[in-house]
Amino acid sequence: MLKYTIGFLVGIVASLVLGWQFAGSLMFYEHESPYGLEETAARIQSNIKTLSHNGWALSGLRSPHKAVEAAGGTVLPVLLVEACSIKYSKPLLKDDNTRILSILMPCTIAVYKKDDGKIYIGLMNAGLVGYLFGSKVGSIMQGVADDQKIFIKFDDKKPAPPLIRTTPGGGKSGTEDTGGC
Amino acid sequence: MKKYILFLMVFLWIIPSYAETTIDSTADHSKFEELDRVFTDATQITEACLSCHTESAKQIHKTTHWNWQYINPQTQQKLGKKNIFNNFCISPTSNYTFCASCHIGYGFKDESFDFSSQNNVDCLACHDTTATYKKLPGFSGHPLYEALTKNGKIIQPPDLTLIAKNVGKTSRATCGACHFYGGGGNAVKHGDLDSSLKDPNYALDVHMDKKGLDFNCAECHTSDNHNISGSRYNITAKDNKKAIIKGQKTNRTKSTCQACHSNNPHDTSRLNNHSKKIACQTCHIPTYARGGIQTKMTWDWSTAGKLDKSGKPITIKDSGGRNAYLSKKGDFSWDSYVIPEYRWFNGKVKFIEKKEKIDPTKTVSINKFYGSYDDGKSKIWPLKIFRGKQPYDKKYLHLLIPHTAGKDDSAFWGNYDWEKSFKFGADVSGVKYSGEYDFATTQMSWPITHMVAPKYDALDCKQCHRENSRLKNIKGVYMPAAHNIKWLDNIMTIIVLLTLGGVFIHGFIRLFLFYKRDKK
Repeated sequence: MLKYTIGFLVGIVASLVLGWQFAGSLMFYEHESPYGLEETAARIQSNIKTLSHNGWALSGLRSPHKAVEAAGGTVLPVLLVEACSIKYSKPLLKDDNTRILSILMPCTIAVYKKDDGKIYIGLMNAGLVGYLFGSKVGSIMQGVADDQKIFIKFDDKKPAPPLIRTTPGGGKSGTEDTGGC
Repeated sequence: MKKYILFLMVFLWIIPSYAETTIDSTADHSKFEELDRVFTDATQITEACLSCHTESAKQIHKTTHWNWQYINPQTQQKLGKKNIFNNFCISPTSNYTFCASCHIGYGFKDESFDFSSQNNVDCLACHDTTATYKKLPGFSGHPLYEALTKNGKIIQPPDLTLIAKNVGKTSRATCGACHFYGGGGNAVKHGDLDSSLKDPNYALDVHMDKKGLDFNCAECHTSDNHNISGSRYNITAKDNKKAIIKGQKTNRTKSTCQACHSNNPHDTSRLNNHSKKIACQTCHIPTYARGGIQTKMTWDWSTAGKLDKSGKPITIKDSGGRNAYLSKKGDFSWDSYVIPEYRWFNGKVKFIEKKEKIDPTKTVSINKFYGSYDDGKSKIWPLKIFRGKQPYDKKYLHLLIPHTAGKDDSAFWGNYDWEKSFKFGADVSGVKYSGEYDFATTQMSWPITHMVAPKYDALDCKQCHRENSRLKNIKGVYMPAAHNIKWLDNIMTIIVLLTLGGVFIHGFIRLFLFYKRDKK
């Protein structure tokens, strides 16, 4: 009996350790970008605009490093591309049980420089997060996850698009640049 | 109506703002009789200045700022803008009419310029305090004397009479009028010098912070008879002396960190030991181009000259709205918050000389920085390494000097004809052109010394002490955690594995004996 109890406890501890170790990389993932900071963000914005048929629109662009600088510090730059889709947000916002998921809106894609001088793209694993809240939310978030893959699929042949410096939370609805959810 | 009210408000604000200016000097130049007149030509102002400051032009005549020439005492190379190449606009030679907007003189249009004339000295370039004195490219170092229409905009000439009465000490704005715009535009050349330093905050530069120490350039780049210290042609890479006491007579340059902070500035000996081999700038300037203005990182001249279907020059912008391609200049790339490249540097720099043979199959260093771990003179320095492609002569194998700017038929920026441009450049410079050209890959290094970050944002240990860190290209020294000694790592791995194995075997034996005893 003792053998089984010890085995069971060791199994739980091992699962917890593994879960703790890999949770971060399961929830979020990171890609290296072949472009500079602004061009990466601009290409993501451009890709988002191609998905307007899925309700996607740009909601804003933030530069959190500037707030650090205003307070007298200096960190490497980060651009947060914000976008939202009414196709995916509406069913979540409609149901009282899932309205709390509005904290995930707008969808944010982080573009940042690291100490190796390279540019990276950080995304939330929308599919996995969705399934933590049941199959209904899971299927909606799977749609977001599929679109996210297109956000970061770059076409080298296209020239660098201009960065759209929209005001965060522009407030318009629908598919306009400053809109979203 | 609103427009008139606005105009009146601005007008009423301007007048008292001049009247309320406090004079930080024992002399109020607006009260000088010599300056109480109308000036129509900038050289008239110089004449007026020299009537009191009798020795200043003679002092200026001995400086690099005036002569654009400098003999490096270490290498005996004849340097200065007149003699060296760069991989930005390549060379001012044959382009003086344009480039002389950053010369502290009037009338520098070609080799015939009279460097011995006192009245040719431009006092206002450094001593204007109104921030209205500007010299445009194309006027041989003269300011505008008449209004000019350019790209549909009317540019008014500076008010010389007003400026003459408002001369004073140099400022970040006067030095920056040229040094922020080196290489043909804002932040192009240096990376750690751009117009964001006119009014920087604490995060951008702790010394020049507008609300803090508010240093002018001259606080560090002190002047002795108009000779400014801290030349990039002769860099003090390792200043291991104590701080200079105010008033102390010394030949040392005051434009090093140690001149104020000494060579033991930290509270802990571990950090002070680091500063024996690492330049202060390496840790205290973690990135450059942090002021919101991107610096140019590459410049490819080989693509210049493309025109659209109607024969007009092309402009392509990057995502940030900066020029990524210009028919006049070729392709560029820009970056901000740039992580420097690091090299051992002992202060010796050798520039490529005119007519010096190059190997175009390899990257050509326009200026080679010397240094090594064991020469006793070197420290690890942060550099901006600017990369590009520029023309060379295929037969003579030396870099070419193109004639780019000018209103004549040979200027590349007018006719997009390299042949004519190189022929003209060769005639003026004496650097021969065979008629065959190509483009060589070049690089040029610039030490990073400005944009000093707050001390809490200096590099931390793990930014260097880890694999593939910023210092991965630093050779000759063992850095814990950054460099591996394979055999030592292998021995340590074996020891750790043996220890772990021992623990497991011991535990297994204990469990085995425990069960065995239990069964009995």
